[in-house]
Formats: sequence, C-alpha cells, structure tokens
Amino acid sequence: MSLAESTEDTQANEMSYIEGKSPRQLAWARFRSDRFALFATGVIAVYIFVAIFAPVICAVLGISPYKLDGQALNDFGLPKGSFGGVSGEHWLGVEPGTGRDILARLLYGARISMLVGFLATVVTTSVGIVIGVVSGYKRGKVDAVIGRITDLTLAFPSLLLIIALTRPIIQRLESLGIPEGNPARIAYIILVLGLFGWVYVARIVRGQTLSLREREFVEAARASGAGTWRIVFKELMPNLWAPVIVTVTLSLPGYVATESTLSFLGLGMLPPTASWGAMLGDSVRYYRADPTYLFIPGIALIVLVLAFNVVGDAVRDALDPKADRQSL
Amino acid sequence: MKTRQIVGAISVALVASVVAASCGGSGSEGGADGTPKKGGTINILSNAEQIAHLDPQRNYTGDDLAFAGSTMQRSLTTYKLEAGDVGSEIVGDLATDTGTPSADAKVWKFTLKDGIKFEDGSAITCADVAYGVSRSFATDVITDGPSYAITFLNVEGEYPGPYKATAEQQAAYDKAVTCDGNTITFNLKSTVADFNYTTTLLTFSPVPKAKDTGEKYDMRPVASGPYKIESYEIGKSLVLVRNDQWDPATDDQRKAYADSIVYNFGLDESAMDERLIADAGEDQTAVTAGILPENLQTIFEGDEALAARAVNYYDPFVTYTNLNVKTLSCLDVRKAIYLALDRDALRKAGGGPYTGDFADGFIKPALALDYKKPTQLEGLNEDGTPNVEAATAAMAAAEKNCPDVAARAKAGLKFYYPDTEVWKKALAIWIDSMGKAGIKIKPEAVGDPAQYWPTVMNEETDYDIARGGWAPDWANASTVIPELFTTGGGFNITRNADDPDYKEFEAKVEEARNTIDRTEQGVKWQELNQYVVDRLWALPGTFTRAQSIWGSKVGGAFQWGPFGAFCYGNLWVK
Repeated sequence: MSLAESTEDTQANEMSYIEGKSPRQLAWARFRSDRFALFATGVIAVYIFVAIFAPVICAVLGISPYKLDGQALNDFGLPKGSFGGVSGEHWLGVEPGTGRDILARLLYGARISMLVGFLATVVTTSVGIVIGVVSGYKRGKVDAVIGRITDLTLAFPSLLLIIALTRPIIQRLESLGIPEGNPARIAYIILVLGLFGWVYVARIVRGQTLSLREREFVEAARASGAGTWRIVFKELMPNLWAPVIVTVTLSLPGYVATESTLSFLGLGMLPPTASWGAMLGDSVRYYRADPTYLFIPGIALIVLVLAFNVVGDAVRDALDPKADRQSL
Repeated sequence: MKTRQIVGAISVALVASVVAASCGGSGSEGGADGTPKKGGTINILSNAEQIAHLDPQRNYTGDDLAFAGSTMQRSLTTYKLEAGDVGSEIVGDLATDTGTPSADAKVWKFTLKDGIKFEDGSAITCADVAYGVSRSFATDVITDGPSYAITFLNVEGEYPGPYKATAEQQAAYDKAVTCDGNTITFNLKSTVADFNYTTTLLTFSPVPKAKDTGEKYDMRPVASGPYKIESYEIGKSLVLVRNDQWDPATDDQRKAYADSIVYNFGLDESAMDERLIADAGEDQTAVTAGILPENLQTIFEGDEALAARAVNYYDPFVTYTNLNVKTLSCLDVRKAIYLALDRDALRKAGGGPYTGDFADGFIKPALALDYKKPTQLEGLNEDGTPNVEAATAAMAAAEKNCPDVAARAKAGLKFYYPDTEVWKKALAIWIDSMGKAGIKIKPEAVGDPAQYWPTVMNEETDYDIARGGWAPDWANASTVIPELFTTGGGFNITRNADDPDYKEFEAKVEEARNTIDRTEQGVKWQELNQYVVDRLWALPGTFTRAQSIWGSKVGGAFQWGPFGAFCYGNLWVK
C-alpha cells in the first residue's frame, strides 16, 4: 500500500478545507483519499453483490451449480480440454468427477462462505466487545474471573469439542425449530465459532479499555458526574472502534477460511450445496491433474482476505491517524 | 478383512472386511524383471500411523496379511508367494502338506515340519500353534481378528481364551485341538471342506506362550519367518531385519532377498504418489499400496516408463449399496432406486473405469466355481446409465402396491455417507439421479471415517441407504453370501431379517454350507447370489480394480492375488 502517498494526500485534503468538520467527516475524507482502499471496498462490494445475486447471475449465464455434466469429463473423471475444461459453456471449467460448473459453484459458494463469515463476525465481535469492556472497565474481581475464563477458552482443545458435539447439538438445534440440514449446520458453526472466537476481540478491547478509562477525558466525564453507561457508550466506545474494526476486517476472512477447515471435520455443508471451503478441500487433491481448479477458489479467497485487510488498515488510519501501527 | 483406507477412492475407501479370493485372470500382475539378487533395503511408504495389527491373531487386513505373512509370520498353510493364478494355490507352510481331512471333513490333521524355529532359536511345537489359535478366542484382548476358529472349532461350552479360562474350559479347548507329537488335530463342529484355506489366516500362526504379552504382543510379535522386528515406532517406522533362526530348507515359498524392509508411516498420500513418480534416491527402492485417482492419468497414460512400474488389476473387492430392508420393505421402491441410479456418473466421480467394472451381483467372477452371471433386473442398463423411464414406472407400481414406502421415498430417504469430498460428490450424484425418479435423498454425514461402519451397523441408526464393500476371506462364497445377508453374518447391514423371503433364504444358505462337493456347492452359491440380486436387499456397485506403483529399482513387484497387495517379503533390490 502506498502509505507515504496517502498520508500526503490526507494532509493536502485537510489543508484545502478550512471550515470546521466533525471527526466523522474528517475520517471519511481521509478514507476517500486512499484510492487503493476505495478499490478494495469496490471489490468487497462486488463479492457481496455476487453472493446475494448468485441465482440471478447464474440464470442469466445459463449455468447451474448442481447440474452434472458427464460429457465434459474424460474416462478418468477429469475435465476434458485444457485449463480444467474452460470453454464457452463453462467459463472457469468444470469440477473433476462430476462435471459441475465451477463458476456457478463459486458464485453459490460465496453465499454460504460470506454468510458464515459475516454472522460469525457479528456474533464474536458483539460478545467480545461486551465482555472486553466489562472486564476492562470493572477491573478487580470481575476482570480476574473473566481473565481466567478467557485463558481457559484459549487453552481449550476446541476442535475436539467441535467434533464430539456436532451430531447432538445439530439435532438439538433442529428440535428447537431451526430447519433441518444446512440451516442447522450453519447455526452450529456460528455457535461454535462464537463460543471460541470472542476471546480475541475481548482481549484487545479489554486492553484498550484499561488504558482509556484512565485518560483525562474519561476522568473529566466522571468528574462532571457522568454515569457508567454514558462513559462506556459516549466516551469509551468511539475510541474503541479503530482496534475493533481492524480485528473485524481481519477475522472475517479468517472465518471464511475456518469454514473450509470445518468442512474437513465433517461440519461442512451437506451435498450438493457449494461452499468455498468444500471447493478448496476438494481441489487440493487435484493440484497435479487439474491445477486450474485449485487456483480458482484459492484466488477468490485470497482476493477477499486482501481486500478486507486493505480496507481495515485504511479505516483505522482514517479513524485514528495518530495511532501507532505497532501497537496493534 | 479390511483394506487400507484410500481417502480418494470411492470404491476402496473404508471397506470393512477383507479378502483372500483367487484373483485369476486379472491380466497384468506386474513385471518380470531379470534375475533376483540378495541385499539392499526395500522401503514401504504408508499414510497410516502404524500397521493396524501385527499380532498374528488380530491381523485381518489384506495388505497387512500379505506383509506379515510374507515376511515375519508363518501359518500352517500359505498361498504360494507367486504372481498370477499360481498365487492362489495353497501349500503347506509350517505343516508338511495342506492337511488331511477325515471322510466327512470334520476332523483335520496337520503335521509340522522338522527344523522350524522362532527367532530366539526355540523349536516351534504343536503346543505353540494350539496356543496361538486359542488366543483368537480371547476377543476382549485379541480384538479385530477373524473369528473363524471360534465359528468352526468344536469347543464345548464357553471358552474365553487362554487368559481367563478355568482349568475346565481350557480342557474343553484342548479336546477340540489336540497335539500328538508333531501332529495337530482340529475337531470341527461341522463339515468344512476347505478348512486348509482357513488355516492360511495368521490365526493359525504359532505364538510361544512364555513370550505372549497379551495386548502388547501387537507391538512385538515373535517371528517365525525370515524377518524379525528390529524397531517399531508408531507414526515413524517399522524396521525388519533378517531372522537368522529361519531355515530356508523348511520354507520353499519365502525368498527373503532384501537385507531389510523398512515401513515408513505417517506420510501424506499425495506426497507418496509424488515421490514414486519422481523416483529419486531411496524412493527408487520404494513401494506403496494404492494410487490416488487424480494421479491415474499421469501414471498410466502419460509416460511409458511410469506405466511400466505400475500395475492396474482386479482386487478381490465388490462394492455395493445397502438398503434398509426394514424401512424399504417394498421391492418396487428398491427397483426404482436401482434403475434410477446413475452408476456411470458415480464411477466417473471415483476415477472412471480404473475403479472397476459394474458389478452384476455380490460374487466376483474371480470366484470361478461360485460365479455365474446373474440375470439382471429388467430395464437395468448394462452401461451403467440410468433408466429413468423404468424407474418412474417402478415408482408408479409402488404407489399402488405399497403407498407407505413410496411416500417415505418421496419424503426423503436418509443416506449415511462418510464425510469426505469424494463422497460429497457421490451424494450429489445420488441426489440428482433419485430426483429424476421422484425420490428424495437426505444426506447424513458421518464425520469420522473410522466411525462409519460402527455407525451404520448400529441397530439404532435410522439409515435407509448406506454403503458397503466386501471381499471373500478365501476362495469360497461361503465367506460372502452368509456374511453379508444372514442375521448371523459379520457384515449384514441390510436388516433383511423381516423380509418374507428371509427364512427360505437362510435355509438355502445352511444347505449350501453343508454341501461337501465343492462344484455342487458352487452352483448353490450361484443360485443364492441370484436370489439376493432378485430381491435387491443391496444394490451391486463395482467389481473393483486397484492400482499401485513401485520404484525403478524394485524387482519382483506383483499383486499377490489372494490379498490384492504386494508380496512384500519376496521383493528384491535391482
């Protein structure tokens, strides 16, 4: 990223406007001047658009993620033709073994992967913020207890638990009225990711809260008789956004990737549903016979991770230009 | 017996129980390659963490039986350690010949050779063999092994094996298996005309009582063959070196060319294929069992030099699909499922024709005496493509004859599958094919592949459709049809006990079992194979093939018919 440039741009921007501006306006102006970040935002928007409108796009292109095409495969079950069977009919080739269209599966897979990523991020972040703020603000016994729980969660062999509890919990979720099959599985994955993922957000938030609550403006608020709620929401929260947003932008693609790990452990979506995780897991086996297949979901995931990182950095810079990069 | 697990392959991954059928006429069994010479080290590459069981009484995997049986452990009889049809013939091993049955084949006598010794130099006696066999009764300690000794031997009352037996119980066992000098006599419950095939199993290997460490014997069994264990570290390696107490004069089968054999564990499956394709350094003397389906084209149709050191052969397995006959109690629905299934697409998903041929029943043609092509279901396409029209008609008939079961099929049938990428593709094909006949499939994933068989064999599991795969324990369909379809069978997942025809079927099986004339018995197994195919308690899948590859400096690499594995002990370094 062109760091030096963007800082200069920012300064130039600030100087050209003399009239008073709210911190939010300033942040937006700084963000807008980072062209690379804007581009990354566009990329994320495209991903979201594609995920939401996958069925429409596929209908327009005349492709389906479920349609089997044995004709596109040779005797070994591998795609006919070069680059994994790329053709006018199948733009990104076909899946080895079944002949299903990779583009269609990539588009539909984006829905599951992004859904899991977004929901898991929302759950972990909200739980993490609440626990982190309480822990950091209350200090003392509360902090000690929460601290031990955090350590315990971090030390917990989560994968073993996830594997052991899959069937019983999914059945329980189904009996609670969550539709059988994939909805129950998505709910379980989010539950599990939420159970173990809040720790990372909570620890960062706690650290920030601990240092913030001693700062002069918080002292001043307290001295002028502000209640706990006001201090937390009006004084602390606005200053917590920067680290939280960075954590979020880093963890979201992480959760998308976790979905792929879980699909190895029997927690993936049920067939024939497509997800990036399943695609990645499957394509690795074909790196010699059909390397194109390996690159497609891989590149899709890398671009998404990269875009979120760039946007995350830019947002942090915009919100808190003076913050030391190393401190995060 | 069980196969090695190949994650990639639909056909062979997770087959429960194993083999020893004749593998005659399978074409290329491997190379003739100059005069064998002594010396060097053979490397075996494996993705497993250890050998499932080295304890002879617990070893029940085709590959492991071939490995232990050709190197370390001898039994009363053995299959000839040779390529081709000859490899399915039996000869005396520790015994001087292939045994002498009584007229009704209820009493079998074997005489031990002179000069046979354990690795510590002590002579192998009749008592050691009898003790070894008795261990297989202790199923609480000696787990996972074949149960033929328990089934066949006429031991009065309960016998819990040598560890827990009272003096009385031990006496009952000693009456069933008697020693007279060098001659061991087995008294059987009923006629077993081919008991000398059963004795090729390492269940009939000698174990010195003084050295028996029970459960721990698995890690350090005492050798009777030309190799003994130098070191064994789980997850790392097993090193075999020469056993100088083995006298080649007593053994005309094991050649023991290599000075040592090293089993390397815990390797990545794709890396194993890669290393053998690259053929560099120590890997030139390496072998591995199985090739991932995605590498088949590279190896067999890419490069002649590669294809020359690989083999593609029929292994002894048949894969099939179990139907829960209790919930799918209507033949019309079972017919509809079979007719609608796109077997061609399923085979492609597993690697194409290299996975094998479409099966016409549950007995493979290699079981020559017991095989006759069964009459196929009317409307079933020979080329494996679905016949949607016939399937729809069968469903329409089901609506009339058995509306309950038809409604169940429409509402959704639970298919339990091992949760791997390959099986997810197979399920996608199932869902697609069944949808065309108006049948709905509800996928039920079993996360841990090792738990798949225990899950579907559990009576409480509410499955409708489940996979299956089996190979005979020796060249007799008595180790196939009864095992898969009678209630007493070791691998009956079909829950067919309540089928109106079951009683008749069981009576016929009993009749076939007690037929002494082998040809006559073969005809009975042919009829029973047809009986099951007509009732579709399970759907035949594939007569499977398997592939393996070896390094350029390995000699004597061939597939040993009965086990579908290398004859490890006779490999040599060029």
